[in-house]
Amino acid sequence: MIKYILAALIVGVAAGYMTDYSGYAPASGWAVDLLFTGSLFLLLFMMGLSFGLDKEAILKLKQTGLRILIIPFTVAIGSILGGLVGGLILRLDLFASMAATAGFGWYTLAGPMMGQLFGAEWGAMGFAVNFIRELLTIVTVTWMVKVGKYAPIASGGATTMDTTLPAIVRYSGSDVLVAAFSSGFTLSLLAPFCIVAISTLGRLLFSVICL
Amino acid sequence: MVDFAVFVAPLVAGILTGYALRNRWHANVSRATFATILALIFSLGFSIGSNNDVLSSLPRVAWNAFFMAVLAIVFSVALVELVKRRVKLT
Repeated sequence: MIKYILAALIVGVAAGYMTDYSGYAPASGWAVDLLFTGSLFLLLFMMGLSFGLDKEAILKLKQTGLRILIIPFTVAIGSILGGLVGGLILRLDLFASMAATAGFGWYTLAGPMMGQLFGAEWGAMGFAVNFIRELLTIVTVTWMVKVGKYAPIASGGATTMDTTLPAIVRYSGSDVLVAAFSSGFTLSLLAPFCIVAISTLGRLLFSVICL
Repeated sequence: MVDFAVFVAPLVAGILTGYALRNRWHANVSRATFATILALIFSLGFSIGSNNDVLSSLPRVAWNAFFMAVLAIVFSVALVELVKRRVKLT
């Protein structure tokens, strides 16, 4: 799945570069903008649909008790805090930095959403931050389990409901399966809300300062 | 506020539709979702590729992204370890 996504990204970059180079950008740019906005809204709708259709997710949550929800909410706060500190150190737009890490590892959503909200450069940033987060989670899992049973789940963020779940269960043991799934599910649901909420908050604050 | 409404509306509409249909409709939306993701990532790539300023800043973006990803992971893991002891998660 990752290779198809990377292929689509590379083909997109090449196509964008060539149309820009050949001077066709204004005409085709309009069509791609429409595709960009249209497919983002379609993805948000379909993700919502699959969340709504998922009967087992709520059952699993009830099984482990709602107490387990403390993990995804803590991970959300930790990720956004990481973005804030990173933005301060690198002297970047703080709200954009926090929104980028609020993708919680879900790069196929965070990249495009950041692109729409903060422009193409932050789109690349949103994609890269979360893509690297998923890769690092898989690469460091054997080391993370030594920190704690829930450390790989915290590291994985939203990805622990699907892509990083097999690796986590293999090293943390099958007793964390439900916790990993519930945490990933909750963070996947939170990610789009957090990204757009941080961006809206940033804009509101900016307009207040300008007044 | 416009952004918020515009982005949250399709998500909430999807959740409500899915919830309403959960006992009547057994469709697998994963293939359609994947096709949408490919179109979406292609357009993200296009918007990056057609902008020379963004293209030339990519190496810096990659390093910044790596740094931010590490920070997001470190803060998440550290906070969960801290909270875990407080609420006594087994």
